[in-house]
Amino acid sequence: MKNTKFIKPNTPAKEIVSKLRSSEGVFITSTGMRDAGQSDFKNRPRIHDLVTLAPFYNDMGLFSAECHGGARWHVGVMNRKEDPFEEIEMLRQLMPNVLLQTLVRETNLFGYRPYPKNVIEKVVSTVDIDVWRCFSFLNDVRNMRTVAEAVMKRNRLFEPAISFTQADWTTNDYYLGVAQQMVELCSGTDSMILCIKDMAGVGSPARISSLVDAIKQKYPDLVVQYHRHSTDGLAMPALLAAAKAGAKILDAQEDTFTRFYGQAPILGLIAYLEESGIPVNIDRASVEASVQQVREWISQYEWAESPFKGYDHNVTKHRMPGGAFPSSFEQAEQGGFLHLMPAILAVMSLYNRIIKYFDVTPGSQITWVTCSGIVNRYDKERGNAGVKHIIKLLEKFVEEQNQNFSSMDRHEQDELLMLFRNAPGDFKNLLLGGYGRLPMGWPDDWVYESAFGDVWKEKIKERKDISPLDSVPQDDLARLRAEFADAIGRAFSEEEFILYLMHPKDAVEFISFREKYGEAPIHLPTDVWREGLKKPGDRVEFELWGKPYCIELVSTGSEHEGLIHVVMKVNNKTRVYTVETPRARKVEIRMAKTASDIGAPINGSVWRIGNPERGALKAGDIVHKGEEIANLEAMKMENAIAAPFDGQIVEVCIKLNDTVQEGQLLFVIEKV
Amino acid sequence: MEQQIKKILIANRGVPAVRIMHTCRDLMIPTTAVYSTPDRLAQHVLMADTAVHIGEAPPVESYLNMDKMINAALSTGSDAVHPGWGFLAENSTFAQKVIDAGLVWIGPSPKVIDLMGDKIRAKQIAEKAHIPTIPGISDVKSADDIVKWMKKDDVAFPVMLKAAAGGGGKGMVKVERQEQLAQAFAQAQSEARKSFGDSTILAEKYIERGRHIEVQIVADSYGNVVHLFERECTLQRRNQKIIEEAPSPTLDSGLRQEICFTAVRLMREIGYSTAGTVEFIFDINTRRFYFLEVNTRLQVEHGITELITGLDIVSIMIDVARGRKLPFEQEHIFPNRWALEVRLNAEDPKTFSPSFGSITRLKTPDGPGVRIANGVYEGADIPPYYDSLFMLLMTAGADRSDAIRTMDRALSRNLRVEGVKTLAPLLLSIIRHPSFIAGEFSTRFIEEHMDELISMFKEKNSEDEALKIAGYVAEISALGPQKWM
Repeated sequence: MKNTKFIKPNTPAKEIVSKLRSSEGVFITSTGMRDAGQSDFKNRPRIHDLVTLAPFYNDMGLFSAECHGGARWHVGVMNRKEDPFEEIEMLRQLMPNVLLQTLVRETNLFGYRPYPKNVIEKVVSTVDIDVWRCFSFLNDVRNMRTVAEAVMKRNRLFEPAISFTQADWTTNDYYLGVAQQMVELCSGTDSMILCIKDMAGVGSPARISSLVDAIKQKYPDLVVQYHRHSTDGLAMPALLAAAKAGAKILDAQEDTFTRFYGQAPILGLIAYLEESGIPVNIDRASVEASVQQVREWISQYEWAESPFKGYDHNVTKHRMPGGAFPSSFEQAEQGGFLHLMPAILAVMSLYNRIIKYFDVTPGSQITWVTCSGIVNRYDKERGNAGVKHIIKLLEKFVEEQNQNFSSMDRHEQDELLMLFRNAPGDFKNLLLGGYGRLPMGWPDDWVYESAFGDVWKEKIKERKDISPLDSVPQDDLARLRAEFADAIGRAFSEEEFILYLMHPKDAVEFISFREKYGEAPIHLPTDVWREGLKKPGDRVEFELWGKPYCIELVSTGSEHEGLIHVVMKVNNKTRVYTVETPRARKVEIRMAKTASDIGAPINGSVWRIGNPERGALKAGDIVHKGEEIANLEAMKMENAIAAPFDGQIVEVCIKLNDTVQEGQLLFVIEKV
Repeated sequence: MEQQIKKILIANRGVPAVRIMHTCRDLMIPTTAVYSTPDRLAQHVLMADTAVHIGEAPPVESYLNMDKMINAALSTGSDAVHPGWGFLAENSTFAQKVIDAGLVWIGPSPKVIDLMGDKIRAKQIAEKAHIPTIPGISDVKSADDIVKWMKKDDVAFPVMLKAAAGGGGKGMVKVERQEQLAQAFAQAQSEARKSFGDSTILAEKYIERGRHIEVQIVADSYGNVVHLFERECTLQRRNQKIIEEAPSPTLDSGLRQEICFTAVRLMREIGYSTAGTVEFIFDINTRRFYFLEVNTRLQVEHGITELITGLDIVSIMIDVARGRKLPFEQEHIFPNRWALEVRLNAEDPKTFSPSFGSITRLKTPDGPGVRIANGVYEGADIPPYYDSLFMLLMTAGADRSDAIRTMDRALSRNLRVEGVKTLAPLLLSIIRHPSFIAGEFSTRFIEEHMDELISMFKEKNSEDEALKIAGYVAEISALGPQKWM
């Protein structure tokens, strides 16, 4: 079906919803620019490649393009060296017709800790996104309030998402309760769409049909979107079931992008829906072009694929979400415990019946770190037998004894009481209500005793029942701005500040990378980005700011004392680059960092330590504010270094006639 | 009687040495360069017909070492010495030694250098010639002397301390408050000793928002003294000029006549010959000028005077040294251009922290109206031991705005220096600043506007950005895929 009902950016939320309601058939959200890459390629697909899809998306008639949020933000800053704001700007230019969609983790936004209200407001009001899909790994709708209000204040579309899993405790009634809170949060169904977020890909067709139906019965006007991963192999029938039950929007990705853990292949899905009598609002020719386009670059990302290949119906037990698959396996591979993965997944499928929440960020990370930690500990201490033992013990406790702690043997109880002792801080914070209320209430007391030991009763008293929105103190933004400016040594944009608010350390590293390498992450094709130019004569051509550039490799020298000389022609001019290998000898220069560190104000040479009146200074000497303590000479000008306060010299870090650089540590002085 | 000059030793390095060699070449006079160890492959060495190693890096062992200098001249058959500016240029002992060695000294007589080199005596002479001078005290023995003088003559802070033997901003310290006086005095003394071998200090009232105007003089040994009009050198940082222009946008033609003829009068009075400069400070409020000092040498900024007059001052110096008469009289000098000079120092444009190292890439400006005086070449080193100036960039046009426009092009589009930081971004900000364009600025302009000027630095250009990308490609080509990817 040819779609003519583009819903364009800047349409008020209410109008978007009304357009959706009045349209026949279903709409598609493409996850090609976000979740597809996250689920099967560790979020490594680069904006340089993804933008090639944008012209097709612009004509495709999508409901929206999910291109932002989730882990894409953080991986962009850390690994791809791309700025999420820059990505939005590029996409806006190339696909002005398309609603841009993000995925946001309620109070955790695009990071991993609960942020205070003032940070949430600042971030949401700055990020130029049309559709805000927002989930809580606890389905604690209270935690969504600040994001929802900030989105609705901008008249953008807020899309609360039910975190879905299939378990005995996740009944329709439970979900209807969550949906009701969401509808209340949005003051009715007219300016919202509701998402069922099946992030692990575990909803069976019948289960999904029943849930969508129940929601539509209760809220006939509510626009429902079904987001589903493919992990269990049942994505297509489940999507069809959702559409038949009244879901209006379905998530899909390019068929050529599809591996195992992402969304359903879009062309196949369209055909399947249409054959079943459900019209799809989409321009198939644009979809075909986009599917073809992915082939142009997808082979560049083989290295980023998960080593754990193939569908996995056991996901219905361990529930690892599609987005977490590749990164978890990568960690296991790097940590040298890939062989323990089956055991870890088995422990996860038992763990999630003891402590009930939804395995999606940050819950999935808590589950992963906790369970992989337990298995690794047993493996280290008792080898393979130990791993088998703990699985057996948990099986007995969960499956045979139905989690009746007192029915376990004494020594088994003792062992369980040590199970979570080394669990990560985030796990303990979760138990204490730091993330909000758990969907099925707090775990049993033995879990607390296991996690906290003797002080478990006091810890339970500390447990909070309120939303982190009401308990996390506001951040002092002025102080954070000062810290940030200090860290990067210059003024910054509001967008850069937001990168810093989300991931302080990584943002600072990102900014220094980009200062050094400029727009390399944007303009270089993926093979050159990853492997450089391989042999003499290889070249890369690109346009920068409207002008052509060409970089050609002339030769790469052999390594000598940790240095490699690379000769390249940049626009025909030969240049030699000296590249340091990890074996390069590094001269460590101590820089002044704290207030008691006295740094050199300029590059120069130290021609006097102390002053003419009292002569040279040494450690232990008392100096007075304003007293000259050293003098640097640079290009025949003298520069007196004065003591900034009264104090005692702790260390003289320079020798006479040393050449020092700007900021280099000269003295450490302790205030007296 | 005409002196023969067959070969000139240039007792200098960098920009001045190269500048002088250009004229020598025009006159078909061979040259000898001298060099310290780190300057072995410097531009002036490569340009000269012969070159002599005169010592290690520290100036006292090389460029300030008179005997080595003279031996170098004698051993290479050079029969004349041009000192350039800086180093030994205003050292009368050296001038005398050159003459005593039977060589031609291309500069004023040692007597005149001596007379004017001592700032205190220079001022006394000016006073005697009824040339206005700034209230001050000479031969300061201690900080207390300054306090007493200020009380007696009712002078308020700020005051300026200067090396009596100095110039070029070295040994000059401005004192704002009583408390700073002692340390400032010690610093001025120490710098004076280090730079000029003489720690005598004088103190003067500091003229706030003063403008620095100087008159270029050329004179021969026959009593002909001609001025080549004035230059404005108000824009300074740390008392060192960084932008100069000719003519001065401050003066009207009446004042111009007055200041130029005052300078001629003084130089005639002292029997000056060859090229020299009389410096004045101009008080914009009272529209009065005061004598500052005489520079008994070629000055850095002489090139803009050459641009507006069409003359070659170095050539005139050589001719005067040969005993020739000035080939022109005052009424023959018609400036018909406006010229601007910026000093390209190897310094951080934000902090003025020196930036030494290798110039890995150098593209000098070209196009109409541009003159470059370059002391380096692509690949050359800027050693940490000497002045940070490595290139002068001059532009000329029919009027001031023409000259500024051409300078804007030269700085922003034509110039490219890699490997060291330069003042170029700051210089560009200054010439684009509305106050500069309006001709309204004082010697404190840069310190007063530093933040604003820095904020005007052009952030990026596509060539720099492309090079960053190339740097990345080089790294990954050498090292392969990285862990962080």
